[in-house]
Amino acid sequence: MRRDARWRTILTYAFVLFWAFIVLFPFYWLITTSFKQPLAVNRGPLYIPFVDFQPTTDHWNYLFTNQRSVVLRHFVNSLIAASGSTALAVVIGSMAGYGLSRFKYRWRATGWDNDGIAFWIISNRFLPPAVFVVPFLILYSTVGMIDKHLGLIILYTLFNVPFAVWIMRDFFNGLPIDLEESARVDGANRIQTFVRIVLPLSTPGIVAVAIFSFIFSWNEFLYALMLTNYDAITLPVLIAGQNTNRGVEWWFISALTLVAVIPVVLIGLFLERFITSGLMAGAVKG
Amino acid sequence: MKQVFLLPAVILLITLVIFPLLWSLGISFTDIQRGGAIREGGGFLGFGFDLTLRNYARLLIDERFHIAARNTLFFVLLGVSIQYVVGLALALVLDQPFRGRNLARVVFLLPMMTTPVAVGYLGRMFFDPSRSPIAHLLRTVPGWFGADPIFVPWLTNPAYARWTIVLIESWQWTPFMTLLLLAGLQAIPRELYEAARVDGATALQIFRSIVFPLLLPISVTAILIRSLEIFKIIDIITVSTGGGPGSATESLTMYVFRTALTFGNYGYAAAIAFVLLALVVVFTTGFLGLARLITPRMS
Repeated sequence: MRRDARWRTILTYAFVLFWAFIVLFPFYWLITTSFKQPLAVNRGPLYIPFVDFQPTTDHWNYLFTNQRSVVLRHFVNSLIAASGSTALAVVIGSMAGYGLSRFKYRWRATGWDNDGIAFWIISNRFLPPAVFVVPFLILYSTVGMIDKHLGLIILYTLFNVPFAVWIMRDFFNGLPIDLEESARVDGANRIQTFVRIVLPLSTPGIVAVAIFSFIFSWNEFLYALMLTNYDAITLPVLIAGQNTNRGVEWWFISALTLVAVIPVVLIGLFLERFITSGLMAGAVKG
Repeated sequence: MKQVFLLPAVILLITLVIFPLLWSLGISFTDIQRGGAIREGGGFLGFGFDLTLRNYARLLIDERFHIAARNTLFFVLLGVSIQYVVGLALALVLDQPFRGRNLARVVFLLPMMTTPVAVGYLGRMFFDPSRSPIAHLLRTVPGWFGADPIFVPWLTNPAYARWTIVLIESWQWTPFMTLLLLAGLQAIPRELYEAARVDGATALQIFRSIVFPLLLPISVTAILIRSLEIFKIIDIITVSTGGGPGSATESLTMYVFRTALTFGNYGYAAAIAFVLLALVVVFTTGFLGLARLITPRMS
C-alpha cells in the first residue's frame, strides 16, 4: 500500500513536470530567440545562452529606439481598445447582471422570463464573428468609423457584455440581500442602493469581468485586422503583419511578440484566482 | 424602474447583434461588391439591391468553400477530442494532492492567456522544418537507433498542416478544459471515493462508475464552449500557415474574411458566413440532443 502511494506520487510529479515543460519551453524559446543574433537563429536550434550562443540585446535596442514610436503607438492602441471596452462591459454587464438577479422580468415580445433573457444574452457570445464581418464593414465605412478606436471599442463591448452579464448575475445571486433591504428602509432608491451598497461589495466579480474583457480585447485579431488600417492598429495585427513582411527575422518578431504577451501573462500569473472563479461562474453554474 | 438595469445591455445587443444579423442575411442574397453599397444611388447601406440566389448556388460548386468547411469541421472535431482527453488527464493529476499544486495550476493556465497570434507565431517557430527544436529532435534521435533522420513537412504539406494547426490550438486551449474539469472533480464529495475504496473498487472502476458519470454535465459544457470557439478559428492559422499552401488549410472564418476584404465580394462573404452560422446551430443542437441522451438528468 505504501509503495503504491509512492509510485503514485512519482508518476504525478513526472506528469506535472512533463506538462510544465510543454507549457514553459515555448516561452523560454520566445525569450531566448529575442536575444539571439540572426546567425544563431539560422544555424539551427541553439538552446542555452552563453553556452550555445552569445546573447545580444540588439533587437530589444532596435525595438525601443528605432522602432520605438511604432511599438508604442500600437501598444497604446491595444490599451485604449481593451480598457475602453472593459470599462463599458463592466458597467453594462453589472447593471444587467444585477437586474437579472434581483428583479423579475417578462419580455412580452418573446415571452422570456429572467432565465430566457439571460440565456439569450450569453448565446450572443458564441455567434461566429464571421457573420458580423460584412455588416460592420459596410456600416463602419459608411459612418466613417474605420480605423477609429471607438469602432473597436464598440465591437469588443458587444462580445464582452454577454459574459459580463453572466458572471455578474451569478455573483449577485450569491450576495445576501439583507444589506440592500436595510438601505432601502433608510430611504435609498434602487439605483442609490446599487451604486453605494452593492457595487462596493462586488469587487471580486468586477475584477473577474474586467480581466476577461481586457484579455479578450487585447488578444482579438479578426475585427482589428478588418476595421483598422493605420491609426488604430493593435499589437496582434502588427505582429501578424511583421510575420508576413519580416517572415525570417525571428529575433525581431520574438521581441515584438513578447511586448504583446507579457501584459496578459502577468495578469494570468497574479490574478489567476479571479480567472478561475469567473470561469466557474460562467460554466459550472451556467 | 427595474428596466433601467437591463436596458443598456438589451439595446446594445438588439441594435448591434440582431439588426446586423438580419441585415447581413439580406446582403447574402445580393451581389453587393466593395464600394457598391455607397456608389449606387438606391443601394445605401445595402438596401434596394436586387435579390438573387446566386451566392448560395455558387456555394454548391465552390471547391475552396468545401475545403474550408471540411477544414473547420476537422479542426473542431479533432481539436475538441485532443483537448478533452489531455485536459481530463491533467485535471485528474491536478486533483491529486501534491506539493506545488497551486503553482502548477497557474503555470498550466498560461497558454490560455497568450495572444493567439503569438501562439500561431510560436507554432511557426516550433514547426519550422530545419531551425526548430522539434526538427532537431527528429533529425538526431532516430540516429541513436541507427534509423534515418525523420523529416516532417509540418506546415507545408496540407495533410500535415491541418494536424499541426490543431496541435497548436490545443496547446493554447487544453488548459481551459482542465480548468473546468478540475472544478467538476473538486465538486465530487470525497466520501464517494472512500466508500468505493472500502468496497474494494479499483482506481479504474472508481473512475468509470463514479468520476466519469459525475463529470458528464461539466464535460458537455466544456466541450460545447470549446467547439463553438474553434468554429471561429482564424488567428492561429493566419500566422502559422497563412491558410496555405494555396488555400488548403483555410477555415471558414478566414475565407469569409478574404472574400470580403481581399476580393471585396460582400454578398458572397455574407452567404458563407451564414452557412457557418447554420453549421454552428446544427452542431449545437445535435450535440446537446446527444448529450441529453447520455445524461438523462440534464434538463
